[in-house]
Amino acid sequence: MTSLLRRTAYRTAMFVLALGLVVLIWETYKAVGPADGGKLFGVRILPRTSEYAMPHVWDMFQRFGRPEVRGSDRTVFIAVLAGAWFSFRLSVAGFVLGGAVGVGLAVLMARFKLVQRGVLPYLVVSQTVPLIALAPLVVSWGGKLEVGPFVWPRWLSASVLGAFLAFFPIAVGTLRGLAAAPAASVELMQSYAASWGKTLVKLKFPTAVPYMVPAFRLGASASVIGVVVAEISTGLKGGIGRLIIEYAREATGDPAKVYTAIFGAAALGLTMAGVVIAADVFVMRNRPKESIS
Amino acid sequence: MSAVNIRNVSKAFNEGKPNQVDALRDVSLDVRQGEFVSLIGPSGCGKSTLLRLIANLLEPTSGEVSVNGKSAVQARLEQDYGMAFQQAGLFDWRTVQKNIELPLELKGWEKADRRARADEMLQLVQLPEFGDHYPWQLSGGMQQRIAIARALAAHPPLLLMDEPFGALDEMTREYMQGELLRICAATSTTVVFVTHSIPEAVYLSNRVVVMSPRPGRLTKVVDVALGGERSEDTRNRAAFFEAITAVREGLRGMHAAHVGLGNDDR
Repeated sequence: MTSLLRRTAYRTAMFVLALGLVVLIWETYKAVGPADGGKLFGVRILPRTSEYAMPHVWDMFQRFGRPEVRGSDRTVFIAVLAGAWFSFRLSVAGFVLGGAVGVGLAVLMARFKLVQRGVLPYLVVSQTVPLIALAPLVVSWGGKLEVGPFVWPRWLSASVLGAFLAFFPIAVGTLRGLAAAPAASVELMQSYAASWGKTLVKLKFPTAVPYMVPAFRLGASASVIGVVVAEISTGLKGGIGRLIIEYAREATGDPAKVYTAIFGAAALGLTMAGVVIAADVFVMRNRPKESIS
Repeated sequence: MSAVNIRNVSKAFNEGKPNQVDALRDVSLDVRQGEFVSLIGPSGCGKSTLLRLIANLLEPTSGEVSVNGKSAVQARLEQDYGMAFQQAGLFDWRTVQKNIELPLELKGWEKADRRARADEMLQLVQLPEFGDHYPWQLSGGMQQRIAIARALAAHPPLLLMDEPFGALDEMTREYMQGELLRICAATSTTVVFVTHSIPEAVYLSNRVVVMSPRPGRLTKVVDVALGGERSEDTRNRAAFFEAITAVREGLRGMHAAHVGLGNDDR
């Protein structure tokens, strides 16, 4: 336990150090770099260091404390927090949906080799479709969906796009994990005359866990990216993606503001990853302490 | 009724294809109730295949296998045997107790009954205080004892073992051999045991079956005249060495024939 604590402390320290380094580089360049950027043969190769292009780091953080719009009593901090919370819930929905679809597909593919041969190539192809192109389609299909009392809410489109990115690593990782049970263990279950389903629950899923954990971690961050991109491309209000767009429009008058939304998006991704890592530590607590890569 | 009856069994892999392998050809063997029989031979002689045919993890190409008077399929479905492998193969995510309970869970036993039986098995393998440990916290020998406890948890009349002590060091191995004999005597279990080691086969068995490869077949059956009681002294008795010599000759004769040398030319 102490070694875990020490490792966590070390990692936190390295994280803070890396963050400090980024701030240092930013501010150093801003101090010494040319205000109008560096040009070589008429092509600008160094960014401008003016207040509009590169606000001070402390200006960005101060901006959190000031009102979102003049005269409002809502600070940017509250606005960003609310946006991140909105997007977080959508990401969780996308992650859960993507996880269910991914694990379901993996089980089907593990059960039927024919499904695996037929479906796996399409899964790979599906990830090459640009999300931006898909977003309006999902919104318009969803808008036409109405099953009884169920009406497709607009936010669900963003979650579906998050799920679209999340399911792939989860499906592939779970499939690999389900195939990882040692032959002797499979024979053992056979010798007990265990059904396929019993073997799945008692042997294959537990052996797959170490493979599923990194897959779910990838899926979680993929879901956040999917949701934020979907918010931007479908113009969904309320989330951090929308805030990035809105604040970016104000960049000429209020350059520090857009960075607050970007920090919010980064914090959202980290929170999501943190939740999955916490779940990882919990499910792996009784396993031998050797990890697979 | 014999514990295991194998009649004219052959097993070919990739049958009818150019890469057909005759793993076993026309093997017949009868194992009596309570008997300890070892299968020994060089790699590729089909001893593991024969064990898997008894376990019904493989189907014979021709011939018949019966276990306790039932077909091999029926015996497997009724969990008439327990099995142990070279790797203990315990599930890392289950406690020792839960590992032993696994076959009982699959049989649909109640929790309290499972618990009582697991306690009994832990007593039997003399690790009563390790129920709440995880397998990876135990030594290799302890893990293998837990694997035996798991194999015997449902009190099957037959135990099939595939080089169970192959991964253990010599000291642990000899200790485990003694433990296995004690456990089998206590539970009057019939054992079919695959091994590479001649002294191990002789020390444990009532009969040692010598097998030869390409195609796999039985070449010699050595009756071990050591009686039922075995102890560390057994390893120093003349009958022990005689049986070892007999098994070795069985293996060597086949080896000489295989490489085309006479028996007197070694």
